[in-house]
Amino acid sequence: MDAWLLGTVLLLVAYFAALAWGLRHRGRTLRGPWLFFLRAFFPNWKFFHAVGRAPRLYVRGRDVNGQCGPWQRIYPQLPRRAWHLLHNPAVNLALTQQNLIDHLAQDINDLPEGADPQHCVSYALVCRLALDALQGGHWGDQTLIAQAMPEAAAWQLELRMEHPGLPDHAPESVLMLQSDFMPLPARAA
Amino acid sequence: MELLVAARAFELLLGWSLTLQTLESLHVIRMDRISYWPVQRQELPRRPTVLTPLLDALMQPGPYRAMLVLRLILALMLISGGLGLSGAVLLFLIAVVLLFRWRGAFNGGSDFMTLVGLSGLLLAQTGQALGHAETGWTACLWYVALQTISSYFVSGWVKLLRPEWRSGAALPIFLDSGVYGPLPPDSLFRRPRVARAVSWIFTLWEGCFVLALLDQRIALAYCASALAFHFLVYWYFGLNRFFWAWLASFPAVIYCALP
Repeated sequence: MDAWLLGTVLLLVAYFAALAWGLRHRGRTLRGPWLFFLRAFFPNWKFFHAVGRAPRLYVRGRDVNGQCGPWQRIYPQLPRRAWHLLHNPAVNLALTQQNLIDHLAQDINDLPEGADPQHCVSYALVCRLALDALQGGHWGDQTLIAQAMPEAAAWQLELRMEHPGLPDHAPESVLMLQSDFMPLPARAA
Repeated sequence: MELLVAARAFELLLGWSLTLQTLESLHVIRMDRISYWPVQRQELPRRPTVLTPLLDALMQPGPYRAMLVLRLILALMLISGGLGLSGAVLLFLIAVVLLFRWRGAFNGGSDFMTLVGLSGLLLAQTGQALGHAETGWTACLWYVALQTISSYFVSGWVKLLRPEWRSGAALPIFLDSGVYGPLPPDSLFRRPRVARAVSWIFTLWEGCFVLALLDQRIALAYCASALAFHFLVYWYFGLNRFFWAWLASFPAVIYCALP
């Protein structure tokens, strides 16, 4: 084996050993606006790695008589189509919007004690998502929730942390955030 | 695999992946009722001061659409083999602008891998422009191959550290939550033995992807099986972009394996 090849192999072994070591030892998480936007430059490649509590968004409407509709979960599950391998905008958009809900949960966790999550950009965008769902918004040909309430007088959202359950962990659903009732904005004619 | 063949295959597949992504992005403009730039711009870094007005201008409907059309043209040029350094720089810059548009990522891992590909392309084209084409392309392919193998390696071993993956319990849970889920009640993956076997096969396969570097025949076999793996990921989770983004990296893995 020539020296170059040996050197390359040793470097590769050292690289993957360091990577493996890093998986077992959690380092400090760096945060900041630049890192948030440019995190794609530092991929961690951890896909579907752990079953745990995941944030889920719920919305409900209230009619003019003060009667509340049911809480409805906004979670993307759409029918598969033959062309989706090549062109799948609705599903990808839906996944991005689910990701937004994850960001809101993370932002709430990162807030200092007593801070108001309503100042977070993620909160404003999640409000738009919840409102869109209530007003009959859709991902492709699939509505965001089963029963839209476009004529509601007011609406409310809830963020819950839900665990699907494991043999050693019962399913659970913990309230993380509940908004006040908010009036529906006037719709354009 | 020869350097020239690997480089050309990489360009073709990356161009194809970018074309599909861009056509989707153009379609998404009409579908997206949630993104709202006047709100999103509030979280931009304050410095450099030129950033916010620049992005404000680019995020207007007309310029944003024009930027995507330009990306589509550049992707087609990449497929045709006629993209130079300036084109590679533009593709890279548009990718960075899109990170700001989608608050860091539109589609997570596929964006990460696309950025790996574009960074590699930039490296190769810079080398070529400086008169060191061979060095540039070699650096590009090694960079892409290392990131690709790292993606499987990390994804596999991080699962093996988790008891719910070792027991197989995680598999039906994730498949149930997939965008095309939930699994049918009588799905094979609900059987604990099947779920455990499938989990171990996939996680060990991912964790050992580094073995692909030992021999080009092993690399070919690994890449062929990776195609099937990514198809399954698409089938259950709707992640079509992952399929094409990772496919674009396979020529680099095959090239870097020992002949």
